[in-house]
Amino acid sequence: MTDVAFTAAAAAPRRSGVLRRLSRHPAFVVGFSIILLLALCAVLAPLISPIDPSAMKVRFRFRPPSSAFWFGTDQFGRDIFTRVLYGARISLLAGFAVCVISGLCSAAIGVIAAQFRKLDGAIMRLMDALMSFPAILLALGIAAALGPRVSSVIIALTVAYIPAGVRIVRAAALTVREMDYVQAAQISGASSLRIVARHILPNCFSPLLVHLTFIFAYAMLAEAALSFLGVGIQPPVASWGNIIAEGRDYATEAWWVMLFPGIAISLAALSLNLLGDALGDLLDPRLKGGA
Amino acid sequence: MTEPLLSIRNLQVQFRADSGWVTAVDDVSLDVGEGDCVGIVGESGSGKSVTALSILQLHDRGTTRMPSGSIQYRGDDLLRAEGAALRRIRGREIAMIFQDPMSSLNPVLTIADQISETLRRHQGLTGAAARKRVVELLGLVRIPDAPRRADEYPHRLSGGMRQRAMIAMAIACKPRLLIADEPTTALDVTIQAQVLELLRDLRQELRMSVMLISHDLGVIAEFAQRVVVMYAGRIVEQAPVAELFRQPVHPYTIGLISAVPKLDSDAARLTLIPGRIPGPQEDIPGCRFGPRCAWVQACCRDASPSMMSVSDLQSARCPPRVVALGAPHG
Repeated sequence: MTDVAFTAAAAAPRRSGVLRRLSRHPAFVVGFSIILLLALCAVLAPLISPIDPSAMKVRFRFRPPSSAFWFGTDQFGRDIFTRVLYGARISLLAGFAVCVISGLCSAAIGVIAAQFRKLDGAIMRLMDALMSFPAILLALGIAAALGPRVSSVIIALTVAYIPAGVRIVRAAALTVREMDYVQAAQISGASSLRIVARHILPNCFSPLLVHLTFIFAYAMLAEAALSFLGVGIQPPVASWGNIIAEGRDYATEAWWVMLFPGIAISLAALSLNLLGDALGDLLDPRLKGGA
Repeated sequence: MTEPLLSIRNLQVQFRADSGWVTAVDDVSLDVGEGDCVGIVGESGSGKSVTALSILQLHDRGTTRMPSGSIQYRGDDLLRAEGAALRRIRGREIAMIFQDPMSSLNPVLTIADQISETLRRHQGLTGAAARKRVVELLGLVRIPDAPRRADEYPHRLSGGMRQRAMIAMAIACKPRLLIADEPTTALDVTIQAQVLELLRDLRQELRMSVMLISHDLGVIAEFAQRVVVMYAGRIVEQAPVAELFRQPVHPYTIGLISAVPKLDSDAARLTLIPGRIPGPQEDIPGCRFGPRCAWVQACCRDASPSMMSVSDLQSARCPPRVVALGAPHG
């Protein structure tokens, strides 16, 4: 009983402190609200728009935005508003998955490189090799080799974004492992695994977290690019990228087909960048000091 | 004489350098008895911290060759301990505190989290029991308002307070030996005095031995019973603190003592030892203090001098001076 009380008492000031500072940061509030709104749209798509995103109504081809079709219709008479809503599912899912998986992999690989100095050379040269290709070309190659599926887009982008994350974690871990508290933990008899899990990784977390919010945005843009180039999400499944791709042939007569998914991508990327900047500010230990 | 708690014999530590191996610590032999308080004094680079780190095998394996010699701790050779046995000695038997209290606490864990980690590891204490002990320990190191401080993060504590928290962490499992590597160097003078007093009280309460490393003769004079003076990786003199100040034997010790500024002197300039401490890669034949020594003789350059006893308690690595003092005991 007392145990529970102590834990709660210990956790309470910590959590409210971070949340309070976050809720006061305008960029965080704006970024978080937009991304939350987009996520809600994605989840609640069938409720917001009861139309089937793939239903073709040839009668209604190329209708401009109106009260019946908010964002207009495309060459098959599909409702762009509905397709953008459903496209958010794929785009956000791909962005989030890439962000989480590449985050976990970079943390693991980065810490291994920093802790096991003998593996460091080999790991980092491999990362350099991956980095020597532009990320989008690397992803294009992998996605093309794996076949056009959501999973291959995620795998391709994860591989493309791991090297940057590994460098960030490795650099942070190399600094942290020299800190006195790591030696203090060693002196108090902690095992290497425990030192990594409790002392090194948590202290590498903030730069990685900031980096990952940007990766989320990059991954969404890259997913759009891959789908646009035809190796990503295949029609008729909607993603923001392939809606734009399908619309490009009619850009002059039906501008709305490309405009609205374009706005959605920009909004999502903007909000994630705001989020990343805000986290960067708030997690900076120099700004954390004043209590 | 009873078996000492810690006994270092002929310790030699070498680092990898561009030009090959350089010797940072050479022929260091010293004992720390049960309840003893030994001070190690020397300039930066004299090998005092390297000696301390070797005791717990904390030398950097990438750049340091396995130290040679032996470090006996209650019958175990610490240089050969490994795995679980080594981890049991670390923290439970021998603990250590450092110079910089700003970086010796993990910024993402509360004080209570960090201390209870050691308690859980060595004493199996968890939850409320660990918490109770943490508050007890913080009280023991005289941190005011311990229950509240326990839940704070290190950045909310002042330097002196962090050093106290660090000490609480070190003594959590009642170690028999505490190695304090310049524990007061980063603190201001009034806090220094408080921390030294705290260490002195804890030493008596917990009946632990302390090895205090410092470049500050004043701190050593105040705190230690026995003093080991190191110069350029070697011990140059060992004596009980009173003897050392009454009759320093080695010219380096004499220089050190006369370099301490005195309040009652109106000399405009501080006394100093000419020259500087040689780097470990510099090859100096014979006595390594020779080039800076006012008493230097021809024989000093021929062979590396060995430690010679002046009395039962005092010995120095300077044969000409020991002979001049008249009582060479071999």
